[in-house]
Amino acid sequence: MLIKIDGCFYEGNSGETLMELAKRNNIDIPHLCYKDGFEGLGRCRLCLVEVIEGKRKKIVSSCVYPIQEGIEVNTTSEKINKMRKDIILLLLFRTPENEYIKNLALEYGVSKIDRYSNKEEENCILCGLCVKACEKLGTHAISLVNRGTTKKVSTPFDDTSKDCIGCGACVEVCPTNAIKLSDENGKRTIWNRTFDLVKCSICGKYYTTEESLKYTLDMLGTDDEEHICEYCKKKSMSSKFKESFKNIY
Amino acid sequence: MSEIGTKRRILICCGTGCLANNSYEVYERLRNGLKGRDDISVQPEIKATGCNGLCEKGPVVKIYPDGISYFKVAPKDVDEIIEKTILRNEVINRLLYFDTNQKKKITNHIDASFYKHQHKIALRNIGEVDPLETDDYIKRDGFKALHKVLLEMTPEEVIDEVEKSGLRGRGGAGFPTGTKWKSCYKFDNFPKYVVCNGDEGDPGAFMDRSIMEGDPNTIIEGMIICGYAISSHKGFLYIRDEYELARKNMQLAIDKARSLGYLGKDILGSGFEFDLEIVRGGGAFVCGESSALMASIEGNVGEPRAKYIRSVEKGLWDQPTVLNNVETWANIPPIILNGANWFKEIGSEKNSGTKVFSLVGKVKNTGLVEIPMGTKLSELVFDIGGGIIKDRPFKAVQTGGPSGGCIPKKHMDIPLDFDSLSNIGSMMGSGGVIVMDDTTCMVEIARYYMEFLSEESCGKCTTCREGINTMLKILTNITLGKGQLEDIDLLEQLGETIKIASLCALGKTAPNPVMTTLRFFRDEYIEHIVNKRCPAGVCKNLTTYYIDKDVCIGCGICAKKCPVNAITGNNKEPHVIDVGKCTVCGNCFAICPKMAVKVGGASAYAY
Repeated sequence: MLIKIDGCFYEGNSGETLMELAKRNNIDIPHLCYKDGFEGLGRCRLCLVEVIEGKRKKIVSSCVYPIQEGIEVNTTSEKINKMRKDIILLLLFRTPENEYIKNLALEYGVSKIDRYSNKEEENCILCGLCVKACEKLGTHAISLVNRGTTKKVSTPFDDTSKDCIGCGACVEVCPTNAIKLSDENGKRTIWNRTFDLVKCSICGKYYTTEESLKYTLDMLGTDDEEHICEYCKKKSMSSKFKESFKNIY
Repeated sequence: MSEIGTKRRILICCGTGCLANNSYEVYERLRNGLKGRDDISVQPEIKATGCNGLCEKGPVVKIYPDGISYFKVAPKDVDEIIEKTILRNEVINRLLYFDTNQKKKITNHIDASFYKHQHKIALRNIGEVDPLETDDYIKRDGFKALHKVLLEMTPEEVIDEVEKSGLRGRGGAGFPTGTKWKSCYKFDNFPKYVVCNGDEGDPGAFMDRSIMEGDPNTIIEGMIICGYAISSHKGFLYIRDEYELARKNMQLAIDKARSLGYLGKDILGSGFEFDLEIVRGGGAFVCGESSALMASIEGNVGEPRAKYIRSVEKGLWDQPTVLNNVETWANIPPIILNGANWFKEIGSEKNSGTKVFSLVGKVKNTGLVEIPMGTKLSELVFDIGGGIIKDRPFKAVQTGGPSGGCIPKKHMDIPLDFDSLSNIGSMMGSGGVIVMDDTTCMVEIARYYMEFLSEESCGKCTTCREGINTMLKILTNITLGKGQLEDIDLLEQLGETIKIASLCALGKTAPNPVMTTLRFFRDEYIEHIVNKRCPAGVCKNLTTYYIDKDVCIGCGICAKKCPVNAITGNNKEPHVIDVGKCTVCGNCFAICPKMAVKVGGASAYAY
């Protein structure tokens, strides 16, 4: 189906969300809680766009809106811009000192109002990407707990999690760098738990936790995999490529 | 009066309100007191019923066929009732209800102003049947509609009848029930589910609880009818766990209905199969939102989802689902039995039928009231509610729970229907009506609702979670006397965005209490911010009391009521309040028979 976005037509697939279609075509829709490969979460609300369906105009969040034949989309307008600014203002109230949010505010020309800014240190915007990543990985160690203003990301009962493998996927996906992870002296501390780190068998640098490695090997159904870090894996892959394609060019 | 042929029935209200006032003891004492008495020729039938609506005046005891209704009956009154009313057919004047509008005692409750304007459909059986006796329900045309549907009608005819009746969902949004059923019917994806939303959570609203407690069978019947219409074989009732009696009565009614062949396989020999299951809600307000409710039934966190794909297509476990509110289900059997045209005759255009309101706040008669849609708000407050307590000046009415808005005096003649209420920025919601007088501070009301919602928002989306939290901070500042005029602009700016940008209806309607009070009571906000004065005398930081010496008669009542001895004065001479000692408790303001105690601002040390 053909979908008109900001005046141009794009070929959309049935079942696709507006965000997926826009991403495929390099159309920029601002977002905080969307990540390729994850389904849309609809939490941050920044990806709001205007959809015109016949005579009806509506505001939808593009990361969860399934595209439909005949719709026309405006990714920006005065109204949408005003709302995005307000959303950024609200996030700035919550995390006034966070670099990422501060830059976003600067980009959109949103200025801080000190009277209503959070006085305590806060970096999490509750986008839920970390929870989704943990869930996708199959570990389910963290979750969004409580509701309303007390909502937060945590392990069950704020205890040391039995299920966490210290892989750091949550840190990887966090847009605001809100999750504390420290790697020191061969130990990794995350979510109130300390893990022993494993060294790469090639370069000798610490690169992952024992639990994470074991989890990966279990998933692969093997135990004789070499312990190689991401960097060395790339390096060895590229030399293998070089070898196999040597005679082609 | 002769008792031959007309067996007496004594109905004792055992709804939650009356139970809290010992109505079960009244019931037990009546039973025991009448047992084995040979001076009574025909033993009366004694029944514990559901809620009669006028909970404030409970426990309620009704005696048929005499048509005598006693209010505020205590266990110690039972012997007198037996001796005088049962044995000698005397009416006990003391226990009769005093109608403040008619200014007289009323023998039969149906003649009281509170009841005589009502038209009961959803509440038709409550207070008249023992909710645990399925036979009582059957005697009052119960399960007749089910017979008709299963044995005489096709699913299409059932849907058509509901659609033609114009019934709109009583849960708040007012979506046409027939249209919902029809869309679900069209999806050929099985299994399908029927869900009853019994997660009533609006402060002050209790009609759904009363129906579940007092007439569970009508909900069961309504749900089976829908199951037949959309080809579903399984229904869920989501009932909040705080409603213990409702859950218990529903469960007993379901078990009884199953044993009588109204639930299970081959219902009434029609070959149709349907069963019901109760799911206990964990007490999150947001779980009254349909998609959060379904997530909760599935065992997930009760968070709403974007409803670009409606639950009639992908609802519970992504299967087609019809979800209706308790009151909506209670309307289904009478519609089927009496026909769509009968229902359409009641109420107003596009808003057929009746609506149950829970009338609470500063009004003389509080309780559950079922009236035709389109009845004027003033009729509800003054004719049925009897007006404001102590006849103080009327200020506003808050409708629709936390998501609703405040309606000022100038809109008192608004018809109570879905469209009229949302046109002025409020909403029907579940039907909560909170009446406010001049001692209610509108800024504080808005702050109260924001506080409620800041705790009860699921916290999923930014605009609802952070937006409500910021609005709460701003309003708290204003009530503490730290407000600035720019704050009003910020409230309006955020309110507009929250309304449009939030994910679910809770967020989209959350700014309503703030927006409507700003629209109709902006002066009060400005008074708080600029003059640092709370006109209602509610915000303590912004209130001082003083006595108007031209009005004060020196009766001294205020001085006696003052907990800190801040009021002095000679007998029959104007009294004075020592602002330094005063704790602004408001006792003097409330008690003064001449309304001589006045509200001053934070710094207005007027004497």
